[in-house]
Amino acid sequence: MIIEAALIGLLCYLGALSSPWLLGVTGGWYLITRPLVSGMLVGLILGDLKTGIIIGVAVQAVYIAMVTPGGSMPADLNFVAYPAIALGILSGKGPEVAVALAATIGIAGTILFNAMMVLNSFWNHRADVALEQGDVRSLYLNSAIWPQVTNFLLRFVPTFTGVYFGAQYISGVMDSLPQVVLSTMNVLGGILPAVGIAILLKQIIKNYSMLIYFLVGFICIVFLKLNMVALVIVGSLLALIHYTYKPEPATTAGAKPLAADEDEF
Amino acid sequence: MEERRLTRKDLRRCWRAWMMHCLSSMSFERMASFGFCLSMLPVAKKLYPDVTKRMEMLRRHASFYNTEPQIGAIVNGMALGLEEKKANGEPIDGETINTLKVGLMGPIAGIGDSMIPGMLMPILLSIGMALAAGGNILGPLFYTVAWLGIILPGSWFLFLKGYKMGSGSVEMLVSSKSARLREALSLLGVFVMGGVAASYVKLSSGLEFITKDGVNIHLQQMLDGIFPQLLPLGIVLGTWYVMAKRGVSPVKAMAILLVLAALGVATGVFQG
Repeated sequence: MIIEAALIGLLCYLGALSSPWLLGVTGGWYLITRPLVSGMLVGLILGDLKTGIIIGVAVQAVYIAMVTPGGSMPADLNFVAYPAIALGILSGKGPEVAVALAATIGIAGTILFNAMMVLNSFWNHRADVALEQGDVRSLYLNSAIWPQVTNFLLRFVPTFTGVYFGAQYISGVMDSLPQVVLSTMNVLGGILPAVGIAILLKQIIKNYSMLIYFLVGFICIVFLKLNMVALVIVGSLLALIHYTYKPEPATTAGAKPLAADEDEF
Repeated sequence: MEERRLTRKDLRRCWRAWMMHCLSSMSFERMASFGFCLSMLPVAKKLYPDVTKRMEMLRRHASFYNTEPQIGAIVNGMALGLEEKKANGEPIDGETINTLKVGLMGPIAGIGDSMIPGMLMPILLSIGMALAAGGNILGPLFYTVAWLGIILPGSWFLFLKGYKMGSGSVEMLVSSKSARLREALSLLGVFVMGGVAASYVKLSSGLEFITKDGVNIHLQQMLDGIFPQLLPLGIVLGTWYVMAKRGVSPVKAMAILLVLAALGVATGVFQG
């Protein structure tokens, strides 16, 4: 289990928000920290690819629209994606319980994320000093390399410890829970994706009329039994119609010379 | 004075440095400021052989900065273009470059956050999740390929646009045409979310009644006959309502759902 736990800890670090090694957030936070992808990776490491992906999909639904403006996070997705999914797989209690577990760990993980955001101020000050003294090498070390040491410790150590010891105890703890707690976790895991969806809707929906599109999408699945690919195609066509036929707002057309607008394309 | 020209290779090194290090020393205090500074580092010596001017340039780019990294690459391109002109003796004030950065980071972060994590990712993830049904590896692989295939060329393109066209390139992002495109895309996002809600939110009732005539009524079966997934729909709309209209935070919303789940299980209304 040491090797597995270490690999999961390492992936957790590589996928952290401020980890640079996979081209920054492009290959890290936005790719391997998506539970859909991390479920596959953790599943591979723990030797149960199928369960990993199934749990990854269930957890992904909760965090489908996690936007982190200005670094304020409702949940630390990185700890959700690695230690939490690993424990979810090891607990053997199915995707809903894994989701409830992941949500709890995610909220607790924000403490460590905030700790990093505060600790990095120390390196920032050293980088500032380096700039004042004209020391480019020290500037590079204090902004690209040393903060990663903090980051690595904050990601690798909790994940490794959690997975290594969790692997021995998680299923025992889960079995000792009373049935009513497990049922609650089951129900909670089923309804938590509502929060992820609501985060996105809150951001996009400006007026009640846009809810219509949400309801049409819902009905396409429930009553028309479309699959997701067909749904995206139908949605794209609706979006295209909207784009083509929506009249230009009168104010911008009057205020702005049209020619300047056209030149840019 | 010989002209200091940035080659394509220089540009690629700067872009890569930005992509890697944009958040690598983030703190509440400075966010991406040193990330921006590091993205100028690969060409600092080439543009400003004079060490005082070089440090001045690096200091300029270590001021507070925070934006969405992928779309934000356009600002890095712009800053590079301006620094190149300045290094070649054009009368560009360092303060002008800084003002441009500071002025753009807010709007670009707004557009970027709503386009990338708010639109592109949920749509790609929804498709990936559907393909992954039953534990199929195709789902995660689809997301990986589609995401990288769109975002890597996309941000490199924006970076080059910013470098070549300077401040004019922002017009591309804020024009009324692109605002309309964003609106159309957000409509697609809402539409797809409807499908995600129908597929991944799960709730059923375990209530059963036996009427006086001895007929057994199972609430969930009744609902399934009229409107399947009615309970999940109610939960999603309810969560959206308390979050959007009552200002409840995501963590509090999760706590409310926990209480709801516990009550529902305890009273037997919800089936676990």
